[in-house]
Amino acid sequence: MSELRVEGVAKAFAEVPALSGVSFHARPGRVHCLLGGNGSGKSTLVKVLAGVHRADAGTVSVGAAAVEAAAIDPDWSRTRGLWFVHQDLAVFPMLSVAENLAAGRDYVTAAGGRIRWRRFNDRAREILERFHLDVDPRLPLAALRPAQRTMVAVARALHASEAATGTLVLDEPTSALPHDEARFLMDAIRRCAADGHGIVFVTHRLDEVAQVADDVTVLRDGRVVASGPATLDRAELAELIVGGGAAAEPARPTATGARGPAILELRGPVELTLHAGEVVGLAGRLGSGRSRVLRGIFGAGPRAGEVRVGGQPIPPGDVAAAIAAGVAFVPEDRDGEGLFGALGVRENLSAVDVSRFRASWGLDQRREGAAATQTMRSFLVRAVSERQPIMTLSGGNRQKVLLARWLRGAARVLLLDEPTQGVDVGARAEIHRLIRDAVAEGAGAIVVSSDHEELEHLCDRVLVLADGRVVAELGPGDVDAVRISHLTLDAAPAAAGARI
Amino acid sequence: MTSDSMPAAEAPVRTASRIDRARLLGLLERFALPLLLVLVIVVFSTLPATSSTFTSPENIRNVLGDQAVLGVLAIASILPLVVGHFDLSVGAQASITQIAVAAAMSRYGIPMVPAVLIGIAMGAAIGLVNGVLVAKVRVNALITTLGVATVIAGLISLYTKGTTIVSGISHDLINLGQGEWLGIPRTTFFLAAVALLVAYVLGATVYGRRLRLVGSNPAAAQLVGLRLDRLVLSTFVFTGALAGVAGALLVARNGNANPASGNEYTLLAVAAAFLGATSIRPGQFNVLGTLVAIFFLAFSVNGLNLAGVEPWINDVFNGTALVVAVGLSAVFARQRQRGA
Repeated sequence: MSELRVEGVAKAFAEVPALSGVSFHARPGRVHCLLGGNGSGKSTLVKVLAGVHRADAGTVSVGAAAVEAAAIDPDWSRTRGLWFVHQDLAVFPMLSVAENLAAGRDYVTAAGGRIRWRRFNDRAREILERFHLDVDPRLPLAALRPAQRTMVAVARALHASEAATGTLVLDEPTSALPHDEARFLMDAIRRCAADGHGIVFVTHRLDEVAQVADDVTVLRDGRVVASGPATLDRAELAELIVGGGAAAEPARPTATGARGPAILELRGPVELTLHAGEVVGLAGRLGSGRSRVLRGIFGAGPRAGEVRVGGQPIPPGDVAAAIAAGVAFVPEDRDGEGLFGALGVRENLSAVDVSRFRASWGLDQRREGAAATQTMRSFLVRAVSERQPIMTLSGGNRQKVLLARWLRGAARVLLLDEPTQGVDVGARAEIHRLIRDAVAEGAGAIVVSSDHEELEHLCDRVLVLADGRVVAELGPGDVDAVRISHLTLDAAPAAAGARI
Repeated sequence: MTSDSMPAAEAPVRTASRIDRARLLGLLERFALPLLLVLVIVVFSTLPATSSTFTSPENIRNVLGDQAVLGVLAIASILPLVVGHFDLSVGAQASITQIAVAAAMSRYGIPMVPAVLIGIAMGAAIGLVNGVLVAKVRVNALITTLGVATVIAGLISLYTKGTTIVSGISHDLINLGQGEWLGIPRTTFFLAAVALLVAYVLGATVYGRRLRLVGSNPAAAQLVGLRLDRLVLSTFVFTGALAGVAGALLVARNGNANPASGNEYTLLAVAAAFLGATSIRPGQFNVLGTLVAIFFLAFSVNGLNLAGVEPWINDVFNGTALVVAVGLSAVFARQRQRGA
């Protein structure tokens, strides 16, 4: 059992420094939270430790074994007992849950190398039980929901680290998890620390810091702005993360009497009328049908019932018709379903309205580029230029690109699935402001979120769903995070218990 | 506990040298293939065994002229590749359209221009079949196009009984294939025209942008309202029509329509497209890179032949070049990820 010491690590991408002289110590038996906004260098730091990125300067030591940070490779990390769960999980969607748990380790084999599947799956079942995951280990991982996939990745690293004591580094493992399910993970992490492992827990959720942290290090712009025992409260942490007190979010406007005409009517198992100037939240556990409602309206999934936008019916399964009627959809899986990873900011922004830049001889890329620069400014997208490859932007800025893609056009009905998932507090406040501005200008929004404080901040009304039906509605003045949480938990079918 | 142990003095220096290295690697990656092309030309121009023949105008004209059919097919195969699908029937399409063009002139006395248009229409029709199967029925494109290529081979032998069509081919067409304008083979002008057309479509039109979007992320493309099926289908039709052009060029170049020719181009075309995607705009299928790849392979093989190596070297060289180039680009990509 030995301490992880990071000293003076520096790393630059192109000309932009991502880390400058970052130092912190993670002690055995303690949970060390690494906090910071988008682009603060959290993920870069983790990737340096894992040997994915090569540092420019600094040293890293585990116990007595010290090494130049630039010389770290994945083998070094592994043999020194450093275990990682990366943000992108590094799981194998086409393989079974059991195979994912065993990845990089041993299969249970019989003579001749034959895999003993039954024993193998039984062992996986035990691990899954320890992590309160009620899934069949033989299912392909792709069949699981994102939250369950995260849990499998965490379970893999945690049960791996039981073999040898060491330090477990979790890079935002909860960013895809609803709050109540994140709690299971917190319990597992505490257990792990109690066993004597050191835990480095990268997160942007301040409530989790209060729950698990023994120590806290806050990064901003690639520098450590605070490091020490977890004694600061949420407001102080938020202040440190954002710097200059920009974290304070304006309270939701309370004047809800003046809402505009109905712009969207949904009839069927879920009845919903959305008015201009209104934000309606959809709460519910995973699998309650929150996302399905959004996808159904947009035509990106099966739909039960009828949708009218501005009085006109929208045929099911016709995304183009929905877009033409002014409907916009921001999916939960930002990188998988939202962004065009091989392309730049500009191409990502104009994905919907590229025909706007059609000239007699083709595509007017100068006009498109100018529009992109303008959009980046209005929607607070921070990037070097409109030509920057989209995947080199931070998560929050990628999300803003996704929103801006729709908001700069004529979208009136905004369907937003987890709009601030995996986004730091500063970007979260900005995204909320962008949504509110759009709504103030006559749009309406339906927001799905498992972050109930977000719903409280953002929504005029909240519908709580279970099994694809509305089981409760909180009207203007009643929207309250704690009440939403209670209603969501109560609404869960009793049989489901603790499963996710 | 704050960050007080900062080796700040050291950091900027190392950072700077790393940036230069990253930039150098990037440039090297983009221009490795063009540099190799230049290198090949320099080597064979100075090597005593080849210097006199390699640089002769006739030799250069021959190499240029011979690459027109392959070039058009390689550029044609880029379009489905951009949206993520292989077309392994481009050679077969060129093969059957050359028969159509030649037969139209020789058996039915149709003049050159309508005959060529028949070939292009036939290619487009085959592309439509490919496109419907891939985009609408959703059969894997590899399987679809291999199957279609096999069917085409059967139809060709049914129609031609294996005999070459030699008579009745328009002399205008043969002149196109064998003559020159401004000292440059006429077929090269057609290759240039096709290259410009596809580069324009991919790089400077809304349609081309949409193809790039679909290729980058089909799921996201669907969610911004793009009709994936239509876009994918259209690329196969486009490719088929260009394969028709290649078929006509094949007749023009050979002066006949040999049912055995055409098929051998498929793998070379796809290989050139992949080689091309390792340079100029690494990671993206692009027209210029594909052209560089074709001429790199052609001049290398030509130089080796002039140097007197045995003919089996050609295939070995082509295959090795492909594997080495793709391997190098993978190494560069890894370096970029780690070091940049």
